[in-house]
Amino acid sequence: MLSRIAESLFWLARYIERAEDTARILDVNYHMLLEESAESYHLRWEPLVIMAGEERLYRKHYEQVNGQNVFEFLAFRPENPSSIVQCISKARENARTIRDCISREMWEDINGLYYTVLGFNPRDEMAAGPHRFCDKIKFGAHRFHGVTDATLPHDEGWEFLRVGWSLERAEMTARLVDVQYHNLLESLSSVGAPDNHQWMAVLRSVGAYEAYHRQYHPIIEPEKVAELLILHPLHPRSIRFSATEVQAGLRAVSGTSSGSYANEAERLAGRLVERLRYDRIDEIFKQGLHSYLYEVARVCNAIGEGITRTYFHYAVVA
Amino acid sequence: MSLAASQILKPGLFEGYDTGGLYDEMFSGPGQPRPEYNKLFQNLAAMAPTQFEERRRLADLSFLIQGITFTVYSDGKGTERLFPFDLIPRILSHSEWDRIDRGLSQRVVALNLFLQDVYGKQSILRDGEIPRSLVYSCPHFRREVIGVEVPLGIHTHICGIDLVRDSKTGEFCVLEDNVRTPSGISYVLENRLVMTRTFPDAFHSYEVLPVNHYPVELSRILRSLSPRGAEEAQIALLTPGIHNSAYFEHSFLAQQMGVELVEGRDLIVDGGVVFMKTIRGLKRVDVIYRRVDDDFLDPLTFRRDSLLGVPGLMGAYRAGNVALANAVGNGVADDKAIYSFVPRFIRYYLGEEPILRTVETYLCARPKDLSYVLDNLSDLVVKAVGESGGYGMLIGPESDRAKIAEFRERIRANPRNYIAQPVIALSRVPSYDPATGNVAGRHVDLRPYCLYDGQKVTIVPGGLTRVALQRGSLVVNSSQGGGSKDTWVLRGEN
Repeated sequence: MLSRIAESLFWLARYIERAEDTARILDVNYHMLLEESAESYHLRWEPLVIMAGEERLYRKHYEQVNGQNVFEFLAFRPENPSSIVQCISKARENARTIRDCISREMWEDINGLYYTVLGFNPRDEMAAGPHRFCDKIKFGAHRFHGVTDATLPHDEGWEFLRVGWSLERAEMTARLVDVQYHNLLESLSSVGAPDNHQWMAVLRSVGAYEAYHRQYHPIIEPEKVAELLILHPLHPRSIRFSATEVQAGLRAVSGTSSGSYANEAERLAGRLVERLRYDRIDEIFKQGLHSYLYEVARVCNAIGEGITRTYFHYAVVA
Repeated sequence: MSLAASQILKPGLFEGYDTGGLYDEMFSGPGQPRPEYNKLFQNLAAMAPTQFEERRRLADLSFLIQGITFTVYSDGKGTERLFPFDLIPRILSHSEWDRIDRGLSQRVVALNLFLQDVYGKQSILRDGEIPRSLVYSCPHFRREVIGVEVPLGIHTHICGIDLVRDSKTGEFCVLEDNVRTPSGISYVLENRLVMTRTFPDAFHSYEVLPVNHYPVELSRILRSLSPRGAEEAQIALLTPGIHNSAYFEHSFLAQQMGVELVEGRDLIVDGGVVFMKTIRGLKRVDVIYRRVDDDFLDPLTFRRDSLLGVPGLMGAYRAGNVALANAVGNGVADDKAIYSFVPRFIRYYLGEEPILRTVETYLCARPKDLSYVLDNLSDLVVKAVGESGGYGMLIGPESDRAKIAEFRERIRANPRNYIAQPVIALSRVPSYDPATGNVAGRHVDLRPYCLYDGQKVTIVPGGLTRVALQRGSLVVNSSQGGGSKDTWVLRGEN
């Protein structure tokens, strides 16, 4: 497989995942905040911008942090490279450069999603609220996963897709928990009571609300939520699950057996999986959740760089 | 003939249809379909316009979702557009196609022999059949490949030869040859696919010759060129990239043939051998179906500023370590001034009379022709010899004084760069006009695609019928508002 093709597959998957994660977060937060009092508005929208990693850019375009602005910024703003529309455009652009290597169904699906997204009028959607739009993105992404799974041979190309979206998901979940937890600590000190509402929103945004209730008590405890999202072995959006997927995909490409590694990306992914497997949530809290999650995001980044150096842009000795 | 007498009066899609006194592919006279079109006409005439419109909408949607688009650069930034598709097919009878097939095969073989000769022994130049100065002044003549032996002696693996039917005589003639990197075959294949889905009923009443063997045949030819033998051949299709107007086609053909679609940055030359960069290191490439022009192929040999090519590629080509299709330097054979000599090539190399007529051509390089052209610009079509895609062209009768004056200056400044031809009244085919919801006659040409394996020429029956969708327009190029039609060659007579 050409390096360029593998790289495009990897990024195609990452952009789809990023669009989906952003849509989930937007949707849930927006609806939860409808029930909240106006004072807490300011506090609650900020994390979303921080999470997207585009705070400075946001400040350049908006004075106020409010639902309308954040929605526009995260969903439509062309200047925001991580906005949903930009992610879908870039996913489609990557697919277009490799359409001979993906199934016709995959191409038509992502191309159709692209035209659907272009068909949305930002002003109408902002008036209607983000649900309709976010739902389209979420299900668009799910359908793409389904179509891919059902029509693309599960060969090394498929593994690069799997690595791409799992890596993106691990990093996004780490950022989500980090930012929300930070936010929660602030509200704890100012309001004086733990804010279940916010954690419910976090769970909903990753589609883990029901899973939480099956696993734990009906009472939502921050520690348990964090445990589910970071350490759960089987929930498909937990960091541990995603990291394990990254590792499995990388091993499938290189043909490495378990217990060893073939390159730096595999070494880092292996170490991350082992940590997530043996760490306990109370230890993580004792050590400091923020620094733990910050480290996870950093490692995810390093894994991405390792993959790039090993498979996409290696030095050619000619 | 009065207008009313040439019109169809029956209500429906064809109401008010006017052949306008030109050669109409469907009608021999008002309301009188030609035998091969009869069943199609009955079928369409019985169809409610709303039903037709619905099918058209579905076809358009299908092209959009599949991303069958091309990129237009006239606005400076490149916009993706649908290549308009007209649902009413163009039909060629078997006997008519047979003559075209023989004529094109003859022409392709002669063009190939000319290229072998002009980059080899140059006997045709020594025998004075064509002025040496005309060949050497051709902007696409490549001295760099004189003496380079190409695999199996094939230069013209893939040719797209543009034919038009002259309304005056009803006869097909050759308008121009495209033997560098002709595009459009993907539309032939996709148009057919969409047609069979949107008009299955029409196919039931006809026996239409299939076209979908093209990628298999092309792949077979490419494989046969491999320096390491066909079994081991690693084939790549070299594209300028996603921003090229024909990118869809590159990707489509690569997928259909199961070969690697590569860009210049994916390739590297080491020790005179071409490799591609894969996730498992470098892998040797034997044959490149290149859709990159000569100029951009290798910055070490041709344009130094090219980022699309591969440094050292020409070295590997000369050493015989990689085959290129089409061969380098083919532009000398489809130069529009050389065009007028092709009938001579056919006589010189094959000892045969040309089966297909060519259009009378004035070479501005000849002083006598030049003065005639300058005196008659408003009646002629003027073309720049090395251009394609309908660019660099003057259609005298349709141009204002300023445009004519501009061309007069251009021709005077560089006569070798221009030729002129009389205006050909292209035949017309009924085509749907979404603005009126009716069918009207629109001018068409025909580009069949010819594949040459060194022994025989294979032409997929039909080819791309390009249609000038704007009323009265003679320009069929996609970059200039043209569309296309499915082209049917019938197995039997009708």
